[in-house]
Amino acid sequence: MSATDRADGVKPGAWVAKYAFVAAFAGLFAFFALRTTTFLSASNLMNVLEGSMILLFVALAMTLVVSSGGIDLSVGIALDFGAWFVLIAMLEYDLAWPLAVIAGLLGGAVVGGLNAFLIVGLGVTPFLATLGTFFIGRSAQQIGTGGGGNVSFRGAPEGFQSLAGGAALGIPHELIIGAVVLAAFYVVLQRSTHGTRIHAMGLQDPAARVAGLRTRRYRTLVYVLSGATAAIGGILLSSSLRLYTPQAGFAYLLDAIAAVFIGASMHPRSRPNVLGTLVGVLFLGVVGNGLDLLGLDFNLKAALRGGILVVALALAFLVSRRGSAASASGD
Amino acid sequence: MSALSRVGPDLVPAARRVLLKRGPLLLFGALLLYLSVASSAFLSTANLLSSLTQAAPIAIVAFGLAVVVRGGGDDVVAGGIDLSIPASAALATAVISDQLANQGAGVLRALILATAAAVLVGAINVLLVTVIGLTSILSTLAMYATVVGVVRVYTANRRITVDDPTMLFVRDARPLGIPMPVWVMFAAAVAFWLLLHRSAFGMRLQAVGGNQEAAATSGIRPRPYIAASFLIAGVAAATAAVVLVARGSGSSPGIDERLLVDMVLATFVGSAFSRRNVVTVPGVMLGAILVALMSNGLILIRVDNSWIDGFKGVLILIVVAAAALQNRRRA
Repeated sequence: MSATDRADGVKPGAWVAKYAFVAAFAGLFAFFALRTTTFLSASNLMNVLEGSMILLFVALAMTLVVSSGGIDLSVGIALDFGAWFVLIAMLEYDLAWPLAVIAGLLGGAVVGGLNAFLIVGLGVTPFLATLGTFFIGRSAQQIGTGGGGNVSFRGAPEGFQSLAGGAALGIPHELIIGAVVLAAFYVVLQRSTHGTRIHAMGLQDPAARVAGLRTRRYRTLVYVLSGATAAIGGILLSSSLRLYTPQAGFAYLLDAIAAVFIGASMHPRSRPNVLGTLVGVLFLGVVGNGLDLLGLDFNLKAALRGGILVVALALAFLVSRRGSAASASGD
Repeated sequence: MSALSRVGPDLVPAARRVLLKRGPLLLFGALLLYLSVASSAFLSTANLLSSLTQAAPIAIVAFGLAVVVRGGGDDVVAGGIDLSIPASAALATAVISDQLANQGAGVLRALILATAAAVLVGAINVLLVTVIGLTSILSTLAMYATVVGVVRVYTANRRITVDDPTMLFVRDARPLGIPMPVWVMFAAAVAFWLLLHRSAFGMRLQAVGGNQEAAATSGIRPRPYIAASFLIAGVAAATAAVVLVARGSGSSPGIDERLLVDMVLATFVGSAFSRRNVVTVPGVMLGAILVALMSNGLILIRVDNSWIDGFKGVLILIVVAAAALQNRRRA
């Protein structure tokens, strides 16, 4: 993943910019390692990985949508619906947990389906369509929970609880699920014709259409899949907490967008890509974990987290500034 | 469509066109009519004036957003948007309140410091967008999170009460029977209207937003204009802060979130009222007033709080879908 694969992109000092983000990541890592005694311990690094999994699903959903030239502000809603539907399916409809998981995935897919209807069917821009879905989804959760109460299921089936809590061969199930979904996204989005078509659609929609691509069908799929993928995060959240809190998903929106664009900045042509997104997610996971370990005030932590994000994005984009800034957003 | 037009050669398409074109306006008209029938208090002078007062800060921040959208182009993802304005307004509100209540400063000093703080946020956006090359949605979203965090640290997430006579004057004075915040809104509207629609700067800004390369070819350097638009947005945020401090007699935690929602709603609903579906100052003000009237009306007829977000979401979608269908027809 070289940022300067084209001869005309190489300039004096370009390598400084190229490694600025990596250096910052390493510096932050070293800082946390030196300032706290626990950061580098194996169990804490495992915490970082596990703690990043939910964001990973949301960020993968976002990667898919941004690759297709859109944006999805309702990924948090899809996460919420996944977390909500899976518990309701077990609590109120007595479904077996694997069926309940499917209900959760469908919950996310419904959110994506509404987006697809608005964007593909009515021609609303993705930003406004998913913003509208965001409001409706927020309201629906308020109404459905009688004003925003939690749904708790302490006695959830063992199998369901082990989705997030269990382990196989010493590897937590959560990480295995994350790795499988990550690999699937990598293969589809970066290594298959479908992925190429989605990227083509994102770069030049009219050209893709003229070339005979069924962009309506692809775009519909993109949004539905995005909803279902974010819902996986919600299902795991419910599995580990045995609790659904309305609108918990909103917290992941900005981080998911940031992870996708940090990842995009590492691509030679500044395109969103699966492995870049993974790096972005891990970076945010390290920042969150490290700040927690420093034991800072809650408000200060929020401010620092935002500041680090701004600086990280700035450093990451120093790389793609020259030569390929125009394609950064995939317009 | 062709089947429909065969049934009524001219009438049906014409009716459809009118319905699509005037749909958003008709819909708002119908809703307002319903509200005035359902609640006798809705059309009272007191309620109308209080709605206008509520609309004031929304309209003023939305004017700032209008400038940025003009200069960046109205593609929300790739073009210009500034989501950090409400956070800047919250920051300026906190600065004014802190200066007046805790630091013993005069009004002038408080206003200067608050404006400086809000413009500084704008300047960081300028750096991120024009120098580093981040898309504006990404940089302003990250700045939103950062500034909200900074405000929380600054105020310790507590309310600051202000009893400065000037601020109380802005709250209570009613020249010609109209509350002072509404006058501030009108004054800001005139200023922004002159700036955007009647000045050489406004025309060039629009040229830059329409097509950067074409603007550059005809001798307008885009960067200074885009930079200016973010700084002006900071000034708008500080202006809104004056109204916010006066109306709330100080600063309270969490004003940024509602303002963000209403600002985006007012701006994009407002653009559906212009002939070519672009963001205009009168459209934005109309949008802000309608949003405030609607929020007030829904509360008056005792719509449960849980439903209000949903109403707003559906409304956004109807308005922007009508605009999108209309655009598609023209294309």
